[in-house]
Amino acid sequence: MNEEQVWLEQARQGDKAAFGKIIEAYQTPVYNLAYRMLNNAGEAEEAAQEAFIRAYTRLDSYDPAHKFSTWLLSITSNYCIDQIRKRRALLLSIDEPLAPHPALMSDRSKGPEAQLMANEQQELVQSLLAELAPDYRQAVVLRYWYEMSYEEIAEVMDTTVSAIKSRLFRARRQLADVGMAMDLSPALEEVTV
Amino acid sequence: MEHNEIYTMMMDALDGELSTTGHVELKSHLRACPPCAREWQALLAIDVLFRQTPALGPAVDFTQRTLARLPNRRYRLWVISAIYILLLLSGALPLLLVAWAISRFGPMVTEPAAIPELVASIDRTLQIMSTVLRALLSGIGEILIQQPAVLGWLLVMAGVVFLWSGIYQQLVSQPRRVQ
Repeated sequence: MNEEQVWLEQARQGDKAAFGKIIEAYQTPVYNLAYRMLNNAGEAEEAAQEAFIRAYTRLDSYDPAHKFSTWLLSITSNYCIDQIRKRRALLLSIDEPLAPHPALMSDRSKGPEAQLMANEQQELVQSLLAELAPDYRQAVVLRYWYEMSYEEIAEVMDTTVSAIKSRLFRARRQLADVGMAMDLSPALEEVTV
Repeated sequence: MEHNEIYTMMMDALDGELSTTGHVELKSHLRACPPCAREWQALLAIDVLFRQTPALGPAVDFTQRTLARLPNRRYRLWVISAIYILLLLSGALPLLLVAWAISRFGPMVTEPAAIPELVASIDRTLQIMSTVLRALLSGIGEILIQQPAVLGWLLVMAGVVFLWSGIYQQLVSQPRRVQ
């Protein structure tokens, strides 16, 4: 039994401190997924907290035969999709100017110029992701930030591998269209096939 | 070569799943086809951008704030156990009552003389219940005929409750901001 399984077993018995270790270990992946999906720091933090609370209350339904991270990210992405639907119902759009992530506001470890470039990069990424439908965005985020295989993405999104391939294909082409309109070009060394 | 085939090759190349022969074919097509070359450039730019953009983390006290919001799992287990026991008892009690009734009244019912008495008693009970129900309904009817404003008032109250529940739902569904 590895450390994570021990924490999970202790958390199942009601040990909050053990679940705290799980939160420490997964807070960045969970938050990052929520932020990429929702494009708002406050909502992303709320979504990440809600995902951990749901995971804690539903620990009995977790099957240890599967990866815990996949199960947790699946809870997070489902919650985010629900939030996006609610937001649509409230006639709010992801294109509206939203509060940027605190990490984009200041980071003392970087110089001002590097910080500015990093902020611009994050903003560009978010503006590109905002062009995609939620299920396409979800597939793209899981592929690029979590380096998940098509099979793993299909498991998280509860769909087939062929559906994921199709979503990624369309999402990339859509992004390429936006990229061409923005005149994006890769670094010279990356151009080679 | 079909453009769709080229797009598929581009995706395979981005996923690192394109064969050496595929690479050669794609490269030669891109040299001959400027629109495809432009699309490839854009695809590659976005691929590089996404791969180089680091993951973002929450605020430093995220764990503490999340732990503070966790429900008490042990308490929840106790409550669920209590509910299960209550459900079990609520299922078992009627069964015990039926068993007791059969053992108590079974022999009486099997006697031929007891059956007309039992039917008569059920009939009396039903008559009493129907009389009470009729009296209640006629009372309500009379109130409504004499005071039609009561019906209007009830409708207004139902409307107010419906309106406020809608407002409450809207407020609850608004995303809460983290302090």
